[in-house]
Amino acid sequence: MTEDDWGFDADFVRTVSPLLDALYTRWWRVRADGVDHVPATGPALVVANQAGGQPWDAAMLATALRRHEVRRDDPPRFLAHGRAFELPWASTALRRLGGVPAAPGNAARLLAEGHVVMTFPEGGRGSGPGYARRYRLERLGHGGFVELALRSGAPIVPCALVAGGPGPVDRVLARVARLPRPPVPLPVLPAPARWRIAFGAPLHVAHHGPDAAEDRALVLELGEEVLARVQEKVYDSLVNREGAL
Amino acid sequence: MAGRRVLITGVANPFGARLADRLAADAAVERVVGVDTRPVDPELAERIDVVAADLRSAELPPLVRAAAVDTVVHNDIVQFPELGRPRAAIHDVNVIGTLQLLTVCGGLPTLRAIVVRGSAAIYGSEPAAPAFFTEEDADRFPLRTRFQRDIGELERLVGAFARRHPTVRCTVLRLQPVVGRDFDTPVNRLLRAPVVPTVLGYDPRVQVLDAEDAVGALRRAVLHPVRGPVNVAADGVVSLSRALRHARSPALPIAAPLWGPLVSAARRAVGQPALPDEIARYLRYGRGVDTTRMRGELRFEPEHSTLEALARATGFERPQADRRHQNARPDAPRR
Repeated sequence: MTEDDWGFDADFVRTVSPLLDALYTRWWRVRADGVDHVPATGPALVVANQAGGQPWDAAMLATALRRHEVRRDDPPRFLAHGRAFELPWASTALRRLGGVPAAPGNAARLLAEGHVVMTFPEGGRGSGPGYARRYRLERLGHGGFVELALRSGAPIVPCALVAGGPGPVDRVLARVARLPRPPVPLPVLPAPARWRIAFGAPLHVAHHGPDAAEDRALVLELGEEVLARVQEKVYDSLVNREGAL
Repeated sequence: MAGRRVLITGVANPFGARLADRLAADAAVERVVGVDTRPVDPELAERIDVVAADLRSAELPPLVRAAAVDTVVHNDIVQFPELGRPRAAIHDVNVIGTLQLLTVCGGLPTLRAIVVRGSAAIYGSEPAAPAFFTEEDADRFPLRTRFQRDIGELERLVGAFARRHPTVRCTVLRLQPVVGRDFDTPVNRLLRAPVVPTVLGYDPRVQVLDAEDAVGALRRAVLHPVRGPVNVAADGVVSLSRALRHARSPALPIAAPLWGPLVSAARRAVGQPALPDEIARYLRYGRGVDTTRMRGELRFEPEHSTLEALARATGFERPQADRRHQNARPDAPRR
């Protein structure tokens, strides 16, 4: 047992990593570009779009970093919807994999401790819109992640995910369980479409100082900037995807 | 502050008795007055002044004024029915008792500090909670259970008192669940039961506090009073499964819908009071607290970590116990 105070369990991750590796290489045939943009030391906030549905998005991002030996001694943590922690088994698995409820304070504390934190600010809206808009990003929350980065001084690493998205079975199950669909992990694997992960160059915001978090104009501007960078990477990845299947 | 005069309410319960014992032995403390309606251990009663009075009775104010105390430790706070504190009286003792005590305190010119033995249960146990509650997070979630509402009310009363009396330092120590061999607390009873009913599919993060550390924190707060609430908890937040393995308490996972009825039926059958609702939620969602204020302002360091406290409570203290566990399979047979 090597869990830390957050409930992250490195042994558990080691145990399930063959499974995650199989999903990574065989099922979704993930290709990850720009993993070097994640800083080798110190805190960082990875901001990604929601594409495959949680917890698979976070798991594959973490697997990508692990396979490229980035932050090997300090695997990334991720923020998950609070409702996910109401579920039996899934709550425990999420926590052991590095998931933390997206409550105020949690992300700030993780960054203060120097961890890499992955967040998916699209939240429930992420894969909500119809099929035609599936690669168009939704508004990235209300800029909470920008405030977080400004307060902690951590760089923002934009990250684009192109994936198949949750399948129809997922939607039906979620409706039956009456849960908000995308952020809540369901024991259903998204379709084996080809995935692309692209990390972008980090956006350093530390020079604005922690007080800039109160500056709404700046927060919105930086939020738009990150959204644009992620969207651009999504389109790039689509072009280079070599077909969905 | 030399020659302290300390009043302790609920001095007959183990927290009160141990605190009175330690304060009576302290050179900085001139006098310890204990208030309780229940009989106090005669050995202790010889060393302190015992007042057999109810907090809610009219005889208390003149007695307290005569003692000219400078510190009041409010320890008569009850989470579940215990000897001399039946179920129906719990709310009365917790809230009306506090109200009366604070009224008395308001008329004490000598008073310098009030220390309240509160509970981290005020934060509740929530799935979407901060992993480490800070003192500012108390009103983040609704107060769901009776005891939570009691201590919420109690803290509100103490807060109002502190605003009206700026010269009195009012501290509420928010203790994580206390475990200790001679201490009758809900979590302690659970640990010592033949099996611990856990919730199937949930393995929450838990954090406890050793009983001796709880008394130590109260003592520290008496000798060095601070203002406002302070979380008090042992080092380390661990998953419940690991905690139970370490304490050698076998777990019995029960599916969530059946949990309530089965557990209350089992406890009725063996003549135990029903498990408080906040403990049921604690077993499902757990709780961790931030102890920055405890270290920085109260300057208190607990002696035992969460795992040590659990092992001490069940009598399975082993040096380097953790190392043994790292190699043991989770399902290895227990001794």
